[in-house]
Amino acid sequence: MPRTTTLECPGCPPLRALTFDVLGLVKVIETSSKQGGGVAKVVERWGDPDSSRCVLAASIDDSKSDPLLAVARKNGLIEVINPLNGDVRVSITNITSDDLLPEDNAIVGLHMLKKQRLELSSRSRSELDFMDFLSCTLLTCTTKGHASMRSVEIPKSPQDSISGVPPTAWNICATGNILCSKVDGNENHALFGGKGVEVNVWDLDTCTKIWNAKSPAKNSLGIFTPSWFTCATFLSKEDHRKFAAGTNSHQVRLYDISAQRRPVLSFDFRESPIKAVAEDLDGNTIYIGNGSGDLASVDLRTGKLLGCFLGKCSGSIRSIARHPELPVLASCGLDSYLRLWDVESRQLLSAVFLKQHLTNVVFDSNFSGEELAASAEVLLPSKAHDVHDTVDEDEEEEESLPVKRKKASKGHKASKKLKSKKRSKNLEVKDVDVL
Amino acid sequence: MGAKRKKSESEGFIEENRENNNGDERKTKKNKEGGEERGKQLLPSTVKNKEKRSAVHAKLKHQKKLEKRKRSKARDAAEKQALELGEEPPPRMIPRTIENTRELDETVCKPDDEELFAGNDVDEFSSILKRECTPKILITTCRFHSTRGPAFISELLSVIPNAHYYKRGTYDLKKIVEYARKNDFTSIIVVHTNRREPDALLVIGLPDGPTAHFKLSKLVLRKDLKSHGNPTSHEPELVLTNFTTRLGHRVGRLIQSLFPQDPNFRGRRVVTFHNQRDFIFFRHHRYIFETKENKQSDSESKKVKDNKDENGTQDKTIARLQECGPRFTLKLISLQHGTFDTKGGEYEWVHKGTKSVEFRVRAIESVPNLPLFLVFFVFLKNIGELGRTGLWAFF
Repeated sequence: MPRTTTLECPGCPPLRALTFDVLGLVKVIETSSKQGGGVAKVVERWGDPDSSRCVLAASIDDSKSDPLLAVARKNGLIEVINPLNGDVRVSITNITSDDLLPEDNAIVGLHMLKKQRLELSSRSRSELDFMDFLSCTLLTCTTKGHASMRSVEIPKSPQDSISGVPPTAWNICATGNILCSKVDGNENHALFGGKGVEVNVWDLDTCTKIWNAKSPAKNSLGIFTPSWFTCATFLSKEDHRKFAAGTNSHQVRLYDISAQRRPVLSFDFRESPIKAVAEDLDGNTIYIGNGSGDLASVDLRTGKLLGCFLGKCSGSIRSIARHPELPVLASCGLDSYLRLWDVESRQLLSAVFLKQHLTNVVFDSNFSGEELAASAEVLLPSKAHDVHDTVDEDEEEEESLPVKRKKASKGHKASKKLKSKKRSKNLEVKDVDVL
Repeated sequence: MGAKRKKSESEGFIEENRENNNGDERKTKKNKEGGEERGKQLLPSTVKNKEKRSAVHAKLKHQKKLEKRKRSKARDAAEKQALELGEEPPPRMIPRTIENTRELDETVCKPDDEELFAGNDVDEFSSILKRECTPKILITTCRFHSTRGPAFISELLSVIPNAHYYKRGTYDLKKIVEYARKNDFTSIIVVHTNRREPDALLVIGLPDGPTAHFKLSKLVLRKDLKSHGNPTSHEPELVLTNFTTRLGHRVGRLIQSLFPQDPNFRGRRVVTFHNQRDFIFFRHHRYIFETKENKQSDSESKKVKDNKDENGTQDKTIARLQECGPRFTLKLISLQHGTFDTKGGEYEWVHKGTKSVEFRVRAIESVPNLPLFLVFFVFLKNIGELGRTGLWAFF
């Protein structure tokens, strides 16, 4: 007889996550502690099912004042969405210089930079303030290696045409396919890697390559494995020197720019290719997910497996996200489930069935359960006060920016100071996080 | 004397047993025989002599059978009485089966799911299922195969229209996939043989469809079936039952895309894939509708005759089934995204074994409604759903 008992899911703390799927739908999943005992539920669905709008990459800027969400679609469209109500603020096409179809040159990396950057910050800041424009900076990268950074001005109403500043574009690689890209916490550096492309780190200020990895030596049998990176992540927010990368040959590698060009540490995980890597807040633990649905956490100081996330997760994991404050991890993938895990006990907190193959998940960290009603209220009457609001927000941003920089520089100092002592560095990084 | 004593003892035991299991009507009986009952019970397992033990056991079994019959009789009587008195009959008990105790699955497809249909429209099989292109199947084997393998393949070729067998040779499967893609094949079936016995089936959708890996068991070839029929070359009708969850739906569509979507009803050939508890049963039948008049039914049983008399002199249409090989069972092991790639493949679903209680969820099926031997009635039911009117000509 079948067992009729099911595992009790302890439920989640209140949080809000957004998932993106192959039909281009964006689904908002919320858990609230009040009703339902912390069971995750789909509260909203944005967009209509259309396979050409399949989401390839997504990035969220969940700042308090004016959160934005960028979504890259299969047809080459990049949309900037308001993550609170799903309004499309701006949609731009990612046209590359070559006559490539968007299907051939799909966007693989999309990052919404929190910091104002480049010409925008220097040139037209005052102008923008005057014109009541919001702006954000997007870093995109396509399969063929065309990276571009552009600042997008977001008009108040979607009807207004946008006269975008021409994007800064550069080529990452001549051959091969880029499969992963990542921007570090300070948003000064970005790393790219892919099939036939070794991981390389770029300085975003000058758009120059500062470091390139070297492929590992042949093994004892003289067999050389061609490089095929599928995912990568920086270990901690403050430090761009250390990052982990997963390969198609089920290997996880730790690189340290300051040490050497070959991996500092490398280990195998199971049998199928690593498909997703995410870092923890403590700066030395990473979460890895692979093509057959195994999810595990690994301590990269030792390379030891801390434990696996057990559950009936049976499809490839496409994306892992760590909540910036709560000890919750979200994973999603081809089994169409969004699963929320407890980081400490590695227990399944909640799972939601979302019907399609999922490609991405992001957390909206500004959600606190009670906010739901309030945020909607704020949003609706905001039309009347829009002018004032945006001005205020810009001011706030300006105020907050130097603070951020300070923090960032602090982090730099700390990491520089502690370069000699690796052990204590980790502790120090933790302290920075608490502050 | 001894035997008599034993009998009373065993009766006592049964009484006890029954009392544990069931309700009131037995209580009266127990009071009647209460004097004879002893505290000590004779369990067959305590008897050391084998003959005596089996005798006790047989007696116990017999008693249980009698009891059961009595209970059902009482139940029927109660129902009848209730009907006579015009009362509401006591509610019928519903037996607890594996199927109806299945835990609720949220992934079961619902008919009003807009996203499901949108997903169907754009999935890998939609061009075949919308009849935009006709399926063309390449059948090949593993590297070494013999005896039952080739025989099975020749029968598969007779089941699946527009299937072509290619010798495997020493080609890599990835090369074969490439070749088939170039030659406009829509699916590849690889029959894997182990120890001269086919034991796995790999179905690869082309050009970029999923790869399903099935375990194949209980293979019975045509010539081993008793009074089997020989199939014609007409396009068969397809019956898929119980592919209800999202995964099941996808597997069902994969199977559906192997067959042409315009069955030739003249051929009266049915291919059935019946899913029950994640096992997919394959059967292949011929059917025929026969009209029998009242006079001809003399040789039939009396009961049928009675029915006919009630109906008057109407013709009766009966359907007859004949199985025409092969017969086998499939079980999904993995469903891989994209074509065959064991090293770098991403899985949509992998069977991960029963690691704990929680994992014992059947992935594909939901509550089944019909056993397999009623295949024909399932088929009849499905005609209406498919809206294929051609078959009504037979009625």
